[in-house]
This record gives sequence, structure tokens and C-alpha cells, in this order.
Amino acid sequence: MADADLVVRNDIRSAMWNPGGWKSLLSFFILALAWLAGFSARLFAVIRFESIIHEFDPWFNYRATHYMVENGFYNFLNWFDDRAWYPLGRIVGGTVYPGLMVTSGSIHWILNLLHIPIHIRDICVFLAPIFSGMTATSVYLFTKEIWSPGAGLFAACFIAIVPGYISRSVAGSYDNEGIAIFALMFTYYLWIKAVKTGQVFWSICAALSYFYMVSAWGGYVFIINLIPLHVFVLLIMGRYSQRIYTAYSCFYIVGLILSMQIPFVGFQPIRTSEHMAAAGVFALINAYAFLKYIQNFLTKSEFRYFFFAAVTIAAAVVFIAVVGLTWAGYIAPWSGRFYSLWDTGYAKIHIPIIASVSEHQPTTWVSFFFDLHILVCAFPVGAWYCIKNVNDERVFVVLYAIFASYFAGVMVRLMLTLTPVVCVLAAIAFSKTFESYLKDDSPKQNQKNADEKGDNKNDRLYDKVGNKKIRDEKPKDEEGLGINVKSIIVVALLMMLMLFAVHCTWVTSSAYSSPSIVLASYGQGGSRTILDDFREAYYWLRQNTDDKARVMSWWDYGYQIAGMGNRTTLVDNNTWNNSHIALVGKAMSSNESAAYEIMRALDVNYVLVIFGGVIGYSGDDINKFLWMVRIAEGEHPRDIREVDYFTPQGEFRVDAAGSKILLNCLMYKLSYYRFGQMQLDFRSPAGFDRTRGVEIGNKNFELTHVEEAYTTEHWLVRIYKVKDLENRSEIKKPHKPVKKSKRKPKRQTVRKPGVIKHSPKIVKGKKVKSPKTTKTPPKTGGKK
Amino acid sequence: MNTRALILLLIQISVSVFGKINQDSIDSNIVIAKVERKIDIATHLVKTSTLITLENKGSSGIRSFLFSLDPSLKDNLSFLSAVTKENKDDKLDVKETNVAGHGDKRFYRITLPTTLDAGKTVTVDVEAVYAHVLKPYPLEITQAKKQLVVLDTNLYFYSPYVTKSQTTVVTTTNSNIESYTKTKPVTQSDNVITYGPFEEKAPFSESQLRVHEENNSPFLTVTSMERVIEVSLWGNIAVEEHIDMKHTGARLKGPFSRFDYQRQQDGYASIKTFKTSLPASARDVYYRDEIGNISTSNMRELDESVDVELRPRFPLFGGWKTRYFLGYNVPSYEYLYYKGDHYALKLRFVDHIYDDMVIDEVQVKIILPEGSKNIELKVPFDVERRGDEIHYTYLDTLGRPVVVLNKHNLVEQHIQDFELHFTFQKHLLLQEPLLVVGVFYFLFLAVIIYVRLDFAITKDEAKESRMRVSSLIDEVQSAHDRRSALYQSYDDAINKFKSSKDVTAFSASRKKIDADYKQLTQQIQNLQTQLKAEGSEAAEKVAQLQRLDTLYKEQIGLAITAAEKLVSGKLNRQQYLDTQAATAAKCDDTYKEMESLRAAL
Repeated sequence: MADADLVVRNDIRSAMWNPGGWKSLLSFFILALAWLAGFSARLFAVIRFESIIHEFDPWFNYRATHYMVENGFYNFLNWFDDRAWYPLGRIVGGTVYPGLMVTSGSIHWILNLLHIPIHIRDICVFLAPIFSGMTATSVYLFTKEIWSPGAGLFAACFIAIVPGYISRSVAGSYDNEGIAIFALMFTYYLWIKAVKTGQVFWSICAALSYFYMVSAWGGYVFIINLIPLHVFVLLIMGRYSQRIYTAYSCFYIVGLILSMQIPFVGFQPIRTSEHMAAAGVFALINAYAFLKYIQNFLTKSEFRYFFFAAVTIAAAVVFIAVVGLTWAGYIAPWSGRFYSLWDTGYAKIHIPIIASVSEHQPTTWVSFFFDLHILVCAFPVGAWYCIKNVNDERVFVVLYAIFASYFAGVMVRLMLTLTPVVCVLAAIAFSKTFESYLKDDSPKQNQKNADEKGDNKNDRLYDKVGNKKIRDEKPKDEEGLGINVKSIIVVALLMMLMLFAVHCTWVTSSAYSSPSIVLASYGQGGSRTILDDFREAYYWLRQNTDDKARVMSWWDYGYQIAGMGNRTTLVDNNTWNNSHIALVGKAMSSNESAAYEIMRALDVNYVLVIFGGVIGYSGDDINKFLWMVRIAEGEHPRDIREVDYFTPQGEFRVDAAGSKILLNCLMYKLSYYRFGQMQLDFRSPAGFDRTRGVEIGNKNFELTHVEEAYTTEHWLVRIYKVKDLENRSEIKKPHKPVKKSKRKPKRQTVRKPGVIKHSPKIVKGKKVKSPKTTKTPPKTGGKK
Repeated sequence: MNTRALILLLIQISVSVFGKINQDSIDSNIVIAKVERKIDIATHLVKTSTLITLENKGSSGIRSFLFSLDPSLKDNLSFLSAVTKENKDDKLDVKETNVAGHGDKRFYRITLPTTLDAGKTVTVDVEAVYAHVLKPYPLEITQAKKQLVVLDTNLYFYSPYVTKSQTTVVTTTNSNIESYTKTKPVTQSDNVITYGPFEEKAPFSESQLRVHEENNSPFLTVTSMERVIEVSLWGNIAVEEHIDMKHTGARLKGPFSRFDYQRQQDGYASIKTFKTSLPASARDVYYRDEIGNISTSNMRELDESVDVELRPRFPLFGGWKTRYFLGYNVPSYEYLYYKGDHYALKLRFVDHIYDDMVIDEVQVKIILPEGSKNIELKVPFDVERRGDEIHYTYLDTLGRPVVVLNKHNLVEQHIQDFELHFTFQKHLLLQEPLLVVGVFYFLFLAVIIYVRLDFAITKDEAKESRMRVSSLIDEVQSAHDRRSALYQSYDDAINKFKSSKDVTAFSASRKKIDADYKQLTQQIQNLQTQLKAEGSEAAEKVAQLQRLDTLYKEQIGLAITAAEKLVSGKLNRQQYLDTQAATAAKCDDTYKEMESLRAAL
């Protein structure tokens, strides 16, 4: 900074030759290039397909943003969406993190003010790539505070292209995470700044940034637990100082009040267990500060007694208060999703709907490498450097690294929070190594001196533990290395970084750049066929059904039906009402007549199913079907039993050997209606299901209560119309199946509810052979 | 807005009153000698071509005659034109009119090219196109059924004049005719039904003509359409058409089975695809809808047009509708003409959408460049012109004027050019580039000002002092570097002296170097005191530097005396070399020390 100011004082000519000037120009250019590289790496989907919103959740976000742009912010906050969760509806304003919508809405507003008529869809599509550049900048700032500007540049370049972050921020992936990672890193940067300076200004800034984060993503809980943890650890390490006290007190109070302004968060920060750690640390640091103050008036021995007494009492009081309030119901205990972070088996047993989302599965080792590549190896090195040269802010990075690693191991989607810290620490490792190996031995005094000056300043100001000697010794160790060894190492490292860049591009292009609503298949000659069945069906719904028609489908497609089809859905990706979803699951798992009763009760006009048997699309409803059964069983254990859908050998199969109940349930019938007559090619029999590779078991059946309304070109989406009640003369027919369902309970042995037996491994997902098989419909709501 | 509507209303009332006064009447002198009527119902349109042979039985010449629309068709007329048999290129003037005593009928007055003298005859060919006349019967069909439609009209030519002889020929889609009116004389062969000749029919005589036939041609209707033409004087005209279309044939009853549709290729009445012809120069064609690109389309560039084969996302069955927009660019030099500041845009009012198209309602918006004035419109047929609007797009300040035109009931025959004249001052073209340049200029200026001036409300003493110190240190370093160079000069001088043994030259150069040296030392001294005043610890280092420098200078002094002694012979060579080595070693040490000190500043 001082260098930059110097420029001001000297005349331009000297500024041209001022190394500081060049340095800042260089940093600026590297950051700009990182931004550009990150932006363009995220455009694969746009170039291959089009500027379109991807996946599932983004469609809701887009629809909400569209609504906000059309109707204004206050109407958006008061929006009661009667097109979702029929007949319950959804209070959108109070159940959504509005940060994303507000961000793109305000960009749209500003551009329109300048007469730049960009459609809100394009803003939504490109928001995440633009924010990735801002993330890179904030990671640069963060690393600069932690280590050095050079490491910062490395970190910025890493985060710009690392697949772990690209996976959630490609163009079109208009989701909370896209802006939340920026908010996360920026909050951490400001927090570090506050800790370093002890200025109220920086901690207020951190609180404001935290507010933005709260408005954007449920992952804010990570911040509000990590920062108190940092303070707590600093206290334990005896690194308490006035600066930390100021920083934390301001941050906590302002941040708490601000976070409660978000309607969705409301009183949670003072009423749920997830937020209690922050309050506890706030009490603790105040008590500690008070003790420090008392210390001035007491002798050492008096103080010791006083100290122990005070600490014990304070701890006891806080603990009892929290437990008491929880018991009395003022503080909500940890939510199920939070439990599942500690006990990975929890969700599977108690909340199948959480477990049904493959993003909530534990991470495999492969995906660490897949998402982070070389960084995952360099990351412990950086952590080691930080621990070795520890100071207040490096404690923070180390804590961040430890916790984020744990969470990323528990849940695939939390890989996202780990990615920035991996970039930071790997950058430190690379920067440090290059600093040692790239440096010319011949005394380039000026340069070296400047560096040392900077470092020394750092140490003098912030580092209490005397590690200056280590630093001084280091050059001696390295003197033994010849120029050849050094260049070999440097070249090897550069090669690795190059491979990293290649890997990132490859992963982005092959795994993370599919819009998933438009599928592409490649022929032998490399020709591309676009399978646009989803949009075909949704657009048919939009154009050719009644405006108030109710469409029943599995919850994965709720947002898309609302967003593209503009029709009322029963359940959607905001899985707030488990019993409603279970009811839909029950309808899908029952036989046609029983399902008809449920559908009549729910006022359903159309039923939509996804069927991949014709083209071999693995993410279809039959493959998800067991989750429907499980969720339905959780609420209606007397009517639906998972074992009924398995063969006696415990297999889930749709061919002739499959369970009779499965072959007659609504989902089966809707998926395979008239498929039995269809012969796909000459080698396979009629009714050969390509996804499951079998000939279906129940071929010739007619539908009584529903009729085919529309089926897309490749049969991917099938829509059925629920018929009106039949004339009275034919009343005999519908009675039969009802009897059958009554018979069922007697046949069954008593089972413990909710235990999964013979659960086959069904991975919901995309097309076969997709490298990331586990990535599937994301899901709204708090993450952790 | 209200006042404008009021004015329009007043004008309308006055026009209609005026019209009432000047009502037409039927001239009984005109007799129609012969009528050959062809009714084409092969497509979803009803196209009639009526060959009328007029005879003037009166004594004076006639200039024009009346053509009345059949009661069954009068509300469905889309297009009407008339030519004489002799000259097919010159279109006759056709105007709608009212006839006293026949308020329930629609008449058109067709003006003949020349006055028809008494006793003479002339043959006029009147062409008319009617939409939505053919009614599906039955109204609903299942997927596999064929579409049957019925035509219900007048067997006789509906004329205000006496018709002596007439024939009517109905052309159907194919030979699958369910039933037809069998008023004799009638013959049917293949897809042609011929009625007549009928002799001596009184004015306005009617008799039922009903044809029930199979017609699977696409019953596609554009229910509403918006055509936006954006003119840029930078060489481009962008056209975008928002189209709502519907299958207006027999509605689909019961389920739609994809299996049957794929396997048996039935769904005769459904529309899978249609072809739109765009101008030959059309570029950057896009075919989209609200939820994105419609990937099922093909484009072929032909010599005289660009054919786009559009496939809606789903096949259109009876009663199904869809919505899309199609856009493209054309270069402006083909359609925009100018002379000085006067511009004329000549472009099609509507363009081809599909063969035998029907547009129920169209709104054409023409966006002119910002700053266009004196807008004048010339259209080939009546259109309703709404009030002009303002449109804002990239970099606009005042907005662009938009001409809004509305029209109902259009068919292929309406693909005609309109002309739009306006004036535009050429220098306004530079407005937008200059705006951008200006904005960036001020942005950079603001950054420069911000960086160069100090806007801090408090003075940070420590920082300022740090900055001063660092600049002082820079100065010390540069002074020291120059001084180090002087050391070298001393050495050079001594060596030169040793070889030349020229005492005067040596003392002269030595004096010069001495002076420089003193000045530099003094300068460093001053800087040191300044540093001290700043309270910087660097001052001590500078003092140290000065001390080392004195040492070095001493060594140089020794070297000089030694050299002088050598030259004067007081010292032999060996002794000199010893002293020289000693001083050089000391010099080296001191120099190194100084350098490291200098770097550590």
C-alpha cells in the first residue's frame, strides 16, 4: 500500500519505473485474467446449448426472480404462491433466502435504468460466472491477509477454475451457492481484517457481509459457528487481545440483529441450537474481558481463585441456561439435517427424503480428486506452513480447513465450502515453494529486501510466537541446492499446475456443463442429437392445458413444471411437507383404483412421469421409485410396504419375475403404458426397457381412470389426464381393486416401521455413464 | 389518451354520417351476362374466383359496378381484388360501400379502367379469399380419424344485378366427398363438382350449396402476431415475429397416443411441421419461445429466399396451440433508401409464415432510429395506426419513435410492401459512440483525480512520515550509488596516473572527483539529518554508511598517496603492490559492508 502511495508523490516517469506500480498493475492483470478465465470456463453449457436455466432449483429461483422483477420487492416478500403445494400453497417470501433474487433483480434494475434492456433470464444465467470472478478477488484478498499477495494471486487463479466450485456456478446454474461462496469468502476476509486491525469499521463490514450471506444461503450457519470457534480457540491459546474482543463483539451484535431481518431466518439465531455456540462465545469473551479488567485490581493468588470460581460458575450458568431453554422449548434442538452431519446413518433411517437426495450422500474419495485435483495434495502442505508460522488469522484458516474437510467428507454438496480453503492453503504451499525455488541466488538485493521488509513488519506486528529465527535460518538450508535441482523442481511444479488446468477444463466440460433439461446424445460420427423432451412436455402443458390445471408428479419435477409449464403442482423441490410428498408417493405406489381415489381427493388433473426406457435415461421415475415407496411407507405404513415391491429374493425388478404389486402400481402402469407393444430394434423383444435392460413383465394392460394425454418424442415425459368419474352403470369395476388393497394387511408380517431391508443401490441421477453419477436433483432448504 | 380517443370517435362519427349521405345505389342498367364462379376449398381457406361479364343495357356509360358478398361469407372476407380479363396486371380500384335499403349486406364498388359505353360488355375477374368458412364436421375426432369439413354457402352468384347465366365450380381437396348438394344440373368428377349453367336469376337469389368433404390440409391459424422491425442506420434491420398459433380444425377427442402416432403414422389432421420463407438476405435466424431455443428446426438457403422448416415442440392436433418467436436480421441497404437526410423504408407489412396462412390479428411495430422525425406512412391497404410509442434500447437517451400498426384478417395476398418516410440528421449517428467515449473519459478522469488527490478527512501522521522516510531513503540510495560510481572513478584516475605519470592531469581530475564527492557526501548528510527529524531508525544506518564511507575515502587517500609515491619514485614497485593489496582488500570489505547497509535501508 505504501508503495502505491509513493506513486502519488513521485512524478509519472518515476512511477513507471516504480516496482510497486508494476506489482499492482501485474496483480490487477492477473486478477482480471483469473476473472476472465473463470467466467469463460463456465460458459460451456451456454455455447453447447443455449442461455438457459439448468437443473431443478434454479428454475424456482428464476421464477421467483421473474416474479420480483414483475411485481416489485414488497409483493415478492408477500408472495403467496398458489401454484405450488396444491392445495396448501406456499408462502414464498417467508420461505426463501431472497439474496439471490435481490442481487439479480437489482442488477436488472440498474441496467434498465441505463436503458440496457437485458432480459432477466440472461442476468440469472450469467450471475454465477460473474460472481465467480468476485469470489476469486475475495479469495485473493483473504489469502493476502493470511499469507502474502503472491499466494493470493495463486489462490485467486485456483478458485477461478477449480471444479469443486465450478460445479455450482456454471452459467445457468442459478442457485444460492453461486453468490454465497463469494459472500462467505468476503465475510471471512473482512473478519480477518477485523481481527488484525481490531477496528470497529472492519467488524461492521464483516457483519454487513455476513448479512448478505444470511440473505443468500442457509450455509451462513457455517460462518456463525466458525467465527466463534476461532475466537474460542484464540482464547484457549492465550491469544486474547483487545482487538479480538472488539472485532467479535461488534460482529456478533450487529450480525445477529441483521441476520434476524431476513424473514426466513427470523428468530432462529436466538432460538435454535445451531446458533447457540456464537452466543456462548460472546458471553465467554465478555466474561474473559471482565476478568482481565478485574485482574488489574487483584493480586496474583487472589486472582487465581477468583478466576477458577468465575469460570466454573459462568460455564455452568451458560450450560444450564442453554439446556433449560432447550428443554422449555425456547431453543429448538438440532434439526434432522444437522444431525445427519454427525451421524451419517441418521437421515437414512429417520428422514428418507433427505437421504433420497444423492447430494446428501457421503463423499467418495474419488470425488475429492475429481473436484480438487492437485490442490488436494498441496492443501495439507499449506496447512502445515500455517501451523508452523502460526498467528491469529492463520489459526482461523486451520480451523476452517479442519471443519470444512470433515463436512465435505460427510456430504457431497459441502465439498463446496471446502473448496475455497483448499485453494487458499494450496496457494500458500505453492507460493512458499516457488518463493524458495524460483528465487535467483545472485543477490537481487532490492527485491529480496522489499519482501523481507514486508514479512518482518508482519511478524513484528502480529506474531507473538517468536518464529523469526526460523525464517532467518531458512535461506541457509536452501543454499545447498544447486540451480539444476531448483529448476527441475520448478518445472515439475509447473507441469503439475498445467495438468491441473487441463483437468479443470476437462471436468467442467464433461461433468458440470449439462443443463440436464436438454440432453444431447452423440452419434457414431460425432453428430449430435438434442433430446428436448422435457421442454416439449412442459411447453405442451403450458399451452394446451387449462391455466388452473393441477399436475401431479414426483417432487423432483415440481419446480420445472411451475417454471416452464406454469401449472400448479402438488409437491416440489422445496420439500417442506413430508406427508404431502408421502401422499403423492402413495398414489404412485398404489394400484390404479386406489391411486384414483387419492388423485380425486387431491383434485389432480394430470399426472406426469419421467420414463427413460426408450432412450436409456437412468434418472427416471422407475429408478427413483423405491424412494417414493419408502417415503410413502414412512407416513402410511399400513398401506405401503417396501418389501411388497421386491421379489422374494429381495430384488427390485420390472420384468416378469418382478413383484405383482410393483407390476400393477400406478407408476409402473403410467411408465409402461403401451410400451409392451413397442419394439425398439430387431434384436430385442417388444417392450424391452433399455434403462434396466429387461423385457417388462406386465405388457398388455389398459388404463381405467387415466388416459394418455401427451407423450414426448422419445417417451421421456409422459403425461396422463385423470378422467372424470365414470357413469354409474360401470361402478362395479372400480370396487375390485379396493378390496384387494384391504386384503394386503393381513398377508403381511409385522415389521418395524422405517427399517430398510434389501435396499438395492439405486442412484438417482442423470444419463448413464455420466462421470458424476451421484449428482442429482438438488434440494432447497438449509444445508447444514 | 382519452382526448385522443374522443377525437378519433368524432372523426369516425363524422365519416360515417358523411358516408350515409353519399350512399350508393344499384344501377338497374347493368346486367350480368355471364358468371363463371370457382370455389376452391382444397385448403383451409375458401378462395373464390368470379369471372363476371358485365353488360351495359342503359344509354349512358358506366364507370363502376357493385360487387356484393355472399351472406354466408361476408363476415369472413380476408382479401378482395379485381382485374379485367384483358389486363391482368392492373388492379382495379375496390372500395367498400353502403347501398340504401341493403344495410345488412356488404358491397364493394369496383371501378372499371375505362367507361363502359352503352351496349358494350366487359369481363372482370374478382378474386376473394375467405378464412374460417370451412367448419369441421364432426367437431371432434380421435387421433386416427380423418378430418371432415363442410362448406355451407350460396349456390347462386349473389349479385345486386340480374344474372343471365352462371356456373359454379367447386374444387375439393380430393375425391373423398361425403356428400354435396345435388341441385341439377350438377356433375362430379374426381375432386371437381360443377353446377349449372343456371339461367336468369334475379338479384340476391339464394339456394343452399353444401359440400361435406375430407380435408386434411393444415388448419393452422395465427391467432395473434406481433412483428417488430427495428431499423438501425448502422446497416441492419432486425425483424422479430411473435406468433401465437392454433390448430383450428376438428378438435382432438380422447387420448393422444405416441405409440400409434409413431408406429402407424396416423394423425392425418395433425401438423408436424411447416415452412416459413424469409427474405434471401436473412441472417442470424433464431426460433425460440419463452423457455428457450426450439431445437427442432432446419434452415435452407435458397437463391430467392431462406426457407426455415419450423417444427413446433409438439405436433399440433385440433384445438392445440403453440407460441413462438422467430427473428432474423437483414441488411438495411436492400430496404432502406435515402437522399440527404430523407430516408424511406420499404419492407413487407407481413411476411410469409406458412403456405395459405391466415392471420387473425397482427400488430406491426416499426422502431426507427433515435432522433427520426417527420414520419410518413404509405400502406397498400387499410391499416389502423395507433399512436406512436417510445422505445428505449442500448445507449438511448431520448428513446426511439415506434410506429404501431394494427390489422385484422390477413392472408398470403397481404404480403405487400409498405413505405415509411422519415428524416434523420446524419450527425446524430455519432451520438451513441460519443456517449460511450465520454463516459469512459469521465470514468478515467475520476479515477485519476481520486488517486492523485488526498480525500482523507484525517491526517495519518505515521503513514505520511513513513512515506517521507521511504522517499528519503530512496534519495540516499541513489546518492550513494552515484558516490560508489565515484569510487570507481578514483580508481580509474589512479590507474591512468600510474601509466601516464601526468601529475597535473591527475590532480585536475582528482579535484573534479573530489568536488563531486563532497557534494554527494553533503547531500547524504542533509538527508540523514532529515531522516533524523522524521525519527526514523534509518538515520542511524545512514550515519553508519557515512562512517564506512569515510573509511573508504581514507583508503582511497592512502591509495593516492601510494600512487604518488610510486610515480615520484619514493616507493619501489614491490612495496607499492603490497600497500595496494592491503588497501584494495580493505576497500573491498568496506564496499561490501556499505552495499549490504545500503540494501538494508
